[in-house]
Amino acid sequence: MSEYVIIGASAAGLSCCEAIREKDKKGKITIISDEKEMLYSRCLLTYLIGDKIGRDGLKFKADDFYKKHNIDAMHGVKAVMLDIKKKTVKLDNGKAVEFDKLLIATGATPKKVGIEGEGLKGVFSLRSIADAEGIISMVNDCDTAAILGGGLIGLRDAYALRLRGKKVKVVVKSSQILSQMLDKDAADIIEEKLTKEGIEVIKGLAAKKIKGKGKVAAVELEDGSEIECQMVIIGKGVSTNLNFAKEAGIKVETGIVADEYMQTSAKDVYTAGDVAEALDITTGLHRNNSVWPVAVEQGHCAGHNMAGNKTPYEGSCMMNATDFFGLPVVSIGITKPKGTGYEELTVKNSKEKVYKKIVLKDNIIRGIILLTEIANAGVYGILLKKRIDISPIKDRLLDDNFDYAKILHIVKERADKFGKAEFKETTITL
Amino acid sequence: MPKKNKDVKIFCDITKCVACRTCELACATEHSVSKDVYKLLKEDEQPKRRVRVSATPNESISIHCQHCKDAPCVAACMSGAMHKDEKSSATMHDKEKCVGCWMCVMACPFGAIVRDVKNRIAVKCDLCPDRDDYACVAACPTKALFAGTEEDFKKTLKEKRAKKR
Ligand SMILES: Cc1cc2nc3c(=O)[nH]c(=O)nc-3n(C[C@H](O)[C@H](O)[C@H](O)COP(=O)(O)OP(=O)(O)OC[C@H]3O[C@@H](n4cnc5c(N)ncnc54)[C@H](O)[C@@H]3O)c2cc1C
Ligand code: SF4
Ligand code: SF4
Repeated sequence: MSEYVIIGASAAGLSCCEAIREKDKKGKITIISDEKEMLYSRCLLTYLIGDKIGRDGLKFKADDFYKKHNIDAMHGVKAVMLDIKKKTVKLDNGKAVEFDKLLIATGATPKKVGIEGEGLKGVFSLRSIADAEGIISMVNDCDTAAILGGGLIGLRDAYALRLRGKKVKVVVKSSQILSQMLDKDAADIIEEKLTKEGIEVIKGLAAKKIKGKGKVAAVELEDGSEIECQMVIIGKGVSTNLNFAKEAGIKVETGIVADEYMQTSAKDVYTAGDVAEALDITTGLHRNNSVWPVAVEQGHCAGHNMAGNKTPYEGSCMMNATDFFGLPVVSIGITKPKGTGYEELTVKNSKEKVYKKIVLKDNIIRGIILLTEIANAGVYGILLKKRIDISPIKDRLLDDNFDYAKILHIVKERADKFGKAEFKETTITL
Repeated sequence: MPKKNKDVKIFCDITKCVACRTCELACATEHSVSKDVYKLLKEDEQPKRRVRVSATPNESISIHCQHCKDAPCVAACMSGAMHKDEKSSATMHDKEKCVGCWMCVMACPFGAIVRDVKNRIAVKCDLCPDRDDYACVAACPTKALFAGTEEDFKKTLKEKRAKKR
């Protein structure tokens, strides 16, 4: 009987457990998390702060998940040392667990900004329930909040606090918001919406220090100006939790390096999720694509391989979707291409807040931005993922009525790429 | 076709679809409060159809959720709203859990998920839980739509074609 140990009980870890159980009903699965809270989705934390959902709403798996999958769950316990040779993991409660197959899905931690005053009361970053509760506990005493960083999580924080009726000011060093996700045209449309809804965006300036006696009173910017505020949320991106693997001698770069089967440089030790660096299909390189769907897919793939069902990883790409005050946006792959050989197709109607952009190279879709009209995002997405030559439909790609019907013939002709039942079954009568 | 059969989904016979969009109306009606096409016009909330007919110059097809095995929408859903039904293996959506993040819309390769903008939730084919058959299939005047497994569908096609000859 195999013994599986999973470190990290979030998107990647739990998805790995499910995949193992698809194959192996009997093996012993132990999952270890240093967080006390179980089965919750950290993506929903801004919805909790915005009072859109209650604490129960944070759960993304049923309460009986561990029981049903026959998993031994240890929450509130940290894995502190890995011995690859002896195949053991030491825990901070003095115990140790042995494994035949191990998954390291330790995720990521918010980056610090490294400025004076970061330790003051009222300064937060958002990654865990504990962080969210900290923010919520101070909401009532807060009139104005400053968000440092214009990334997705920073803006989600801003949105949530605005829904709570707070004054919100977002400080962005770059010349646009959402610079990892969108080009400037799309970002500007969203910024206009945020501004209209009462969120102030200050661009091109970094915060110099956070001021206050014991607790936050203001943020001083580079140009000497000050934002009076009672709360600061730092949204400067994340860094991977890779020390546990690194100290054991496993190969790491910006994340834990995964091979084609999500295995690390150590045999029988696998990795998945935000901490993992795996194949990126848009660039062909290895990178961390730190988003929920990728964590779930990688966890799933790792789980299959751990249970002996050899499954190569298809590769992932950056992708995200969100909605600010009713303005939906999707971004997939490379949206701001650098280098030569790229071609961009765009449609823009600022008044209707419609923006569509497709980035091509060699007639293969490499990136997509959709604002407002996002219904067929996944159709473009599958063309990107399968690296399909779109020449036959290039002039129709951005038509209003573009949808799955327009790629039916491609799906049929490229059965090598669209091998899954769900695709084949749509072309039986074509 | 008994409801809880495994792997049932809706198939469209492209050779028969004439893009009349009756399935869209039937779907919207089935998912309204009154389930009555005349009354539903007066309902506060206009119901959302979960199928969509799309025509190209050469053919037309009624696009439905494929109830994919390793469904990308389920992997992408960060709230657990989108899930696989254990018994039927259908892809189901729990509107109570949904937060309207549109991750599923981004992930579905068929564009089979509709946004209910007013309630800010995703909406998709639920295989008509309130009736024994399927509203779109029952309504289709050309019998282009079919509910069953892939095997059933292929068998029926064969039979139909044999009859024609
Ligand atoms: C507020 C917020 C909003 C987000 N919104 C989106 C979104 O809209 N879309 C999207 O795609 N993604 C979003 N994300 C990102 C998404 O949450 C992550 O990509 C996803 O959670 C990654 O899952 P994971 O399992 O790899 O890691 P994590 O979720 O980071 O989980 C890792 C777990 O391992 C634990 N751990 C670490 N080290 C140890 C150890 N040594 N011993 C024991 N346990 C350990 C951690 O405490 C943690 O519980 C959001 C994130 C946040 C914080
Ligand atoms: S909604 Fe789309 S991705 Fe989800 S099961 Fe249906 S067809 Fe597949
Ligand atoms: S819109 Fe709803 S169903 Fe779709 S991914 Fe978000 S929470 Fe899940």
